[in-house]
Order: sequence, then structure tokens, then C-alpha cells
Amino acid sequence: MTAPRDYVHRRLDCGVEFALERLPGRRLAAYDLRVLTGMVDESEERLGLAYLVDQTITKGTTKRNGQEYLDAFDAIGAQQTSYVGREAFGFRCQCLPEYLPQSLALHAEALRTASFPEEACRVAVELAGQELTALQDQPDELAQRMINRQALGPRLGRHPLGQEATIARIGRGDILDFWRGQFGAARMQVALAGPFDADEAANQIDQAFSGFGTPPDDGRRPCPIEFTPGARHEHKELEQQQIFLAWPGVSRTSPEYPAERVMLAVLSDGMSSRLFTEVREKLGLVYWVGAWADQPRSGGMIFVGASTTPQRCDETHRVLLREVDRLAEDITETELNRAKVGMIAKAETHGDITRSRASELSSDLFYYGRPVQQEEKIRRISGVGVADIRRYLKEHPRNRLAAATLGPRALKG
Amino acid sequence: MAFLDQTLPNGLRVVVEAMDSASSAAGGFLVRTGSRDEIAPQAGVSHFLEHMCFKGTEKRTWQEITIGFDDLGSTYNAFTSKERTFYYGWVRRDDLDAQLELLADMMRSALPPDEFSMEKNVILEEIAMSHDQLESHVYDLIHEKVYAGHPLNWPVLGHKQTVAELSRDQMHDYFSSRYNPANVVLVVAGNVRPEAVLDSARRLCDRWPGGGPRPARVAPPGPGDGITLLRLERFKQQCLCRVFPAPSAVDDRDTETSDAVASLLGGANSRFYWNIVQAGVAHSASAWRVEYCDCGLMVLYGFCEPQRCEALSDALRREAERITREGVREEELQRVKNRRRTGLVAEAESPFYRLVQLADDVDTFGRPRGVEERMQRIERLAARDVAEYLERWPITGEGRLFSVGPRDWPVGAS
Repeated sequence: MTAPRDYVHRRLDCGVEFALERLPGRRLAAYDLRVLTGMVDESEERLGLAYLVDQTITKGTTKRNGQEYLDAFDAIGAQQTSYVGREAFGFRCQCLPEYLPQSLALHAEALRTASFPEEACRVAVELAGQELTALQDQPDELAQRMINRQALGPRLGRHPLGQEATIARIGRGDILDFWRGQFGAARMQVALAGPFDADEAANQIDQAFSGFGTPPDDGRRPCPIEFTPGARHEHKELEQQQIFLAWPGVSRTSPEYPAERVMLAVLSDGMSSRLFTEVREKLGLVYWVGAWADQPRSGGMIFVGASTTPQRCDETHRVLLREVDRLAEDITETELNRAKVGMIAKAETHGDITRSRASELSSDLFYYGRPVQQEEKIRRISGVGVADIRRYLKEHPRNRLAAATLGPRALKG
Repeated sequence: MAFLDQTLPNGLRVVVEAMDSASSAAGGFLVRTGSRDEIAPQAGVSHFLEHMCFKGTEKRTWQEITIGFDDLGSTYNAFTSKERTFYYGWVRRDDLDAQLELLADMMRSALPPDEFSMEKNVILEEIAMSHDQLESHVYDLIHEKVYAGHPLNWPVLGHKQTVAELSRDQMHDYFSSRYNPANVVLVVAGNVRPEAVLDSARRLCDRWPGGGPRPARVAPPGPGDGITLLRLERFKQQCLCRVFPAPSAVDDRDTETSDAVASLLGGANSRFYWNIVQAGVAHSASAWRVEYCDCGLMVLYGFCEPQRCEALSDALRREAERITREGVREEELQRVKNRRRTGLVAEAESPFYRLVQLADDVDTFGRPRGVEERMQRIERLAARDVAEYLERWPITGEGRLFSVGPRDWPVGAS
């Protein structure tokens, strides 16, 4: 029996959804702060806008300029990063516990009183254009961008950098409008892990974000996946061909999600997994091969990917599909149990890292609206049997497939 | 913080750090050999051998090896660098003994002949993958030119030709000469009883065949000056690097200061970030320390659109001159130290992070170093140390300039 984790979960007066995992004795604090808006809230004419908000929100506040702002984090040794996703902005931090109030206050300062200096906005647009150029030199990311568009659709499948034409149209006014319209306490989730008193931490967050913003809703309206099957190839001079396949899966909250997760582990977790064994070890076709799920709130997609030299790409493609199809026929109890053991064991070992605990808690809030105890997660995983996997694969076959290839030649057939 | 640090009668060294607050444990075998310990026609043998150690032993097939790891739920892998090879697994604490048994068995690889050709294909795919990455070309070019004529010059993966031509017998000779107790260290960190780990090491490794340490390494000459251009038209970005001599990894006096200089120039919230990236000159600019046991480099670099080469080159030079001329303020250095402190606390939580750092410390300094010791070394740094360091290890002047990408810049360079 796994010892229950010490969670607190509440909606604060200011509107923020707050969760804490109390970890007495830990010497580190870590939190994930999400604002439930992202690329899906961009207009088609302003793709890349959310990314520019992320890049400029820390470039100055009403109290200090951008350099002074980052200096303030450094003064307390807080390591912070941020990202923009489809449906959420993420602001992550780890610091010594005694500096948590200052760190939260700094994040509140940027989110609430960002000044978005004109020059910083201009430079951010300029740099985004340069990064779009740089993206051309990252074949795996280019191929992922291609398949995302097909698999998830024109809104969920967006790339953070948008497109050259849309980025170039964005100005400070657009950035301000997005921030004012979408950011607010009612759309925020804060997941904290460390040696804290819940009431004290909750009060700090409540005070920091009280009266912040008036977004039109709580940011939880689902954006539907728009899947487009079919094959697409883009030519690029590369030594390896990139092959990405996708087909519909299930949402994180689906009762079938545990079966999907375990299925993917059998397919791709560890060197004894099906893809690693059959594509790489037995045939030597690839260095990299993998399978994973990607889940917006409204659903999920399964992805399979590999990169290989062009003369081997047709065989690699065939073997990838063969292995996905074969799983429904001959998955064994032994490999199922091995996959489950792996998932459960890794959750335990990675739990030594406070940063991981905060991320896991943040993910629970995002998908499930509550912390989920380890015992519940283990029970769901452990309860998956061969029959469940076979039923899942029968009900979610890969017969409607999106395929994206990038490299010197298209796949035959 | 106390370490168990003992050498078995057969020469195998065992280093253990007990971490009572962790629930997991990580263990690994550090083999003190890497690509610089190869001969040119066998470039890539260390890395290929790393792959082959997963391919079977007298006791296990490759399937049994990989199943063994996955049955433990291990987070595992191996890596090869210029100077070392490291095999590791991170498991629940009660599974450590089984993990060590599996890793120890792999250290006596059978190098199965029938797996050799297949794995060669995998490595050739890995080489092809690296060729599609601009960063790989930059890294390899710097080493090829700076360490010309020296074993540090060839890629860790080797070349397509050397890998293709490598025979199993040649690999076996290399394996026999390097994978012996005198050249291997067992490193463990986590919720463990050190004496129990030592007992396991005796039980698992006592019968390893003996052998001597690897041949002594010869230091390379200095990087010299000059300009090297590698025109690669299929890439869209240009990478510029200014390369200068820097302390070796074992330079006790200057290694921390060198790290601090790299962070001040090119880390988070750094001079390059504000004066180059946020000035719109390049989307990426940083400083990177290359450090080996007997030599080192400081690389000031950036990635830019090809038409911005001049601006990036000038900006890198200007920032190097400014830090040399004006020094750094104490509060600027303190910010670097504050971030490092938090990073060290984070490292101290995780058996896996500590394992990797311990292996690095033992190989570099000959002994394990605790988090507290490293924190104290960082805290002692002062602005004058940076100024004195830059006198000993200047980063002004042309240094060696590398330009890699689609543009023929500087014009007329080789």
C-alpha cells in the first residue's frame, strides 16, 4: 500500500485554484503556475501572439525594467522558466523554501503589472522571426509541426512561433490586448510542492492575485480536435528521413486512458519495448523510434515516430505499422506486467525530486481538476489487463492515419 | 557528508554516498576510457562498445538484459564522451542490488558476434542523425581543428568509415584492455547501506579479470589562432564561435571561476542575453566550457541569421572586451552564486543527479565531492577572482574563429 500524499486543494477567494503537496523536510520549494489560455486563443491572423506574450511579460513591470526583474529572481536564487502551450501558459520555479513569498510576489508582479515596453515587443517579434528561420534546422521539430497540424487541427495543432507572415503583423497593442483579455486569477492554477503550511501558502497566493483580471471565463472551455487523415510529404535535404504517424486516441479523463497509457508503455517504454526491440534491435533500422500520446483537454492523439536513412524509410514505415497492429493480436501478460511495473516504479523514484512532484500535481489540476493520489493512479494502471488493451485497440484502431514525412523522398505506397 | 570510498583487492574502486532522505537509489559503472583513448583507425570504438555492452553476456541475451532493466522499472542508459563511458540505472532502493548485478554482468560483455553487424547499422543511423544537426557540425569542427593530430579531434561517434570498418576482434582487444577493475569505478548514491554495496561489489566483481589502467594521455597543444569556415548550404542559420584556451577540468584553482565566467557571459539573465539576444542581434548567444583532464576551451558562440554574422561577431568580441576591461560587480557574481546554490540543493535531492556528479568528480578530481563542499567553493568566489582569471585565461583578441553555416563568412577564410 502506497502511503497517501499530503495534498491540500481549494479555490481561493481571489479565484486561483490552489493545490499543495506538503513535503516536510524537503529543502526545496517548487511550483507550477498555469494561466488557462494559450495558442488556441490566438486569431488566425496573429498566430504566434501567445508566444510573444510569454516572451515580453517579464520584460518590465510598473516597478522595474526587465533586467531588474530577472535580477530580483536571481537575488533569491530562484530558478524560473516559462512556456506557452496550446491551452495554458506555464510559469515554473524552484527556490529555497524561505524565498517562496518573494518568488510568488515576483510572478504576481509580472502577471499583473507587466509593462510590455515598446522596444521589448519589437525585439520579441524580430527574434521570433529569427527563431522561425532556426526552426528550419531542426528536422524533428519541423516534422512534429507538420503532423500536429494534421492530427490536432488548425487550432490545437498550432506551433508557438506561428508563421512568418502572422508574427510580422503583431505589435504591442496586440500583445496588450491578449494579456488584458485572457489573463486573470479566475484562470489560474498554482501547484506547489515543499515544506509549507497550506494556509500560509494559500494566503500568500490569495493576496498576491486578489483582484487580478477579469477574463471572460475560467479558460476551461474545450477546443475540439480536428483530425485530418492522409499522407503529407515535404522535401528537405537531410541525411535521415523523419517519419511521424498519428491517429485518434482518448482523452486523459477517459476511462480508457489507463489502457492507452499501458499500451504505449508496451509499445515504447524502455529498451525491451516492442518498437525498440523490433525496429532498432532486431532490424537495425533506426537510432530513434518512439510512441507517445498528446492530449489537449478535449481528447487525445497517438503518435509514432522514427528517423532513418532514406533507403530504409519504407521498411521502417512498414515495421512501425506492423508492430502497432500486431499488439492487438499477441500482447502478453508478461510484457503488460513489465510495463505496469515500470510506470509504477518510475513514479516512485522520480518522486524524490520536488520539481517532479510540483509538475505532477500541476498536471492533475489541469486534467482532472484535483490532486490524484498515487494509490488511485496505481490502481488504475494495475487494473489494466490484456483484454482491456485488446478492446482499446479494437475500438481505437489506426485505420485512419495521418502521416507526415520530411526528407529527401516520400514514402512509397 | 561521508562517503564510502574503497578499492577492492582486484583494483575496482567503490564510491558510495548514502542519502537517507531519498526513497530511491542509483548506481553505475564508470569506465575511464573515451574517444580520446582510441587510435584514429578505430575512432568510435568506445561508443560502439557502449552499445555492445547491452547486446549480451555469458549469462544473458540482449533481450534478457533489456527485460532485466525494465522488470526493475529502472531509469537507465549509458553514455560515452571524449574521456569516459558510464552505465547507470536508477531504481527503487530495494531493487539496487538487482540493478548492480545486471550492470556488473554487462561489464563482462560477450560482444556477441551475431549482434555486431546489426548494431553497426544503428550507430551509422546515429551518425546520420547527428549530421542533420548544425550543433553537431560545430562541435565536431572545433575539435577537429583545435585538436588536429590529437585523439581529441575525432567525434565520439566516430566516422562512418571507421565504424563501418571496425571489426569485432578489434573491439574485443579494446574492451579487454580497458574494461578491467583498474580502470573502472562503481558509483552509488541513494538510500543505501554503504557496507552492503561494498559487499555486493565484492560478490559481483571479485572475479573480473585483471588488467592495467588505460595508457597515459598526452596533452594536446594549445588551440592557436586562425579562422575556419565550414560552408553548409542546407542549413539556414550560421553559427559563430570564438574559441580561447581555458583551464582543464582538474585545474583546482580556476575551474569554478571559469564556470562563473561562462555563466556571467552566457547563462540565464547574462550579459549575452541582454546585450546580444535582447538587442535583436541573434536569437541565441552563450558561452560554453569545454573541459578535459589536461586542457580546456572557452567558447563564446551564437546562432544567427547569415546576414547578421558581422553584428554577432562584433557583439561577442565587444562583450569579451568589456568584461575584461571593466570586470564584474560583486552583486552580479552573487546572482550567479545564488542560482548555483539552488541548483546544488536540487541536485542533493536526487540519487540520479548525485550519481552523475559523483562519477564526474571521481573521474576528474580523483575523489567524491559533497554538495556542501561545492557550495563553499562557489561562495568563496569574488569579483577580483574573475579579473585575475581573465588575465590568466584571456578571452580578448581574435582567438580561433569558427563560422559554420550557409554563408561564406568571413570571406576568404578556409
